[in-house]
Amino acid sequence: MNQLQPPEDGYESRVRTRVVQLFRWSGLWAATCALMAIGPKFLWNGVLAFTLLAIGLNLCVGIRTIVANKRYFEELDDLQRKVHLNSLAITVGVAMIVGVPYSVMASYRLIPFHADASHLVVIMALTYGASNLYGTWRYR
Amino acid sequence: MKNRLKVLRAERDWTQAQLADALNVSRQTINAIETGKFDPSLPLAFRAARLFGLRIEEIFHDQDDPDRQHETKINP
Repeated sequence: MNQLQPPEDGYESRVRTRVVQLFRWSGLWAATCALMAIGPKFLWNGVLAFTLLAIGLNLCVGIRTIVANKRYFEELDDLQRKVHLNSLAITVGVAMIVGVPYSVMASYRLIPFHADASHLVVIMALTYGASNLYGTWRYR
Repeated sequence: MKNRLKVLRAERDWTQAQLADALNVSRQTINAIETGKFDPSLPLAFRAARLFGLRIEEIFHDQDDPDRQHETKINP
């Protein structure tokens, strides 16, 4: 048997490292979102300086999360990138197709609840997750 | 695009995971290439050729290439 020497820092290990980094930054970003949302009311009683500081912190961590996501993508191999690219294409399409009518329906008060941008974010996240699962299953 | 990746791997008694490690890709990618579900990029095809010590066209070939049609018929 012609044995192959596995590289010390293999593909799976490098991707795992990037995933951990991405999860850490995403978690921190979610925490700063929560701080930005509840801080003014429950933590610093509406002091403007603290609110601006929380927004600035959220933006900085958000930028770092984008960088972590970009690095994760750069680490992926051809097939994984293709799966993510397909997921992104479907997600952007769904966001457009659902977002515009949702906005029109909200402006004509055809929606029985308060329309919020976060609803669109949830739909995008679910679409991305489902597309990714489908892509992974398709090329399994 | 057709390829001989599975045959070449089997000749060397390598697992998909070992080949994936050597080519710096996931095992899923090797499986998708072997089953013809995914065509590799040129850099990955070059890495595979270098690893097996063959030319790219000895591993990958266009299934519509008339010069290779007879090989497909003989070895489907």
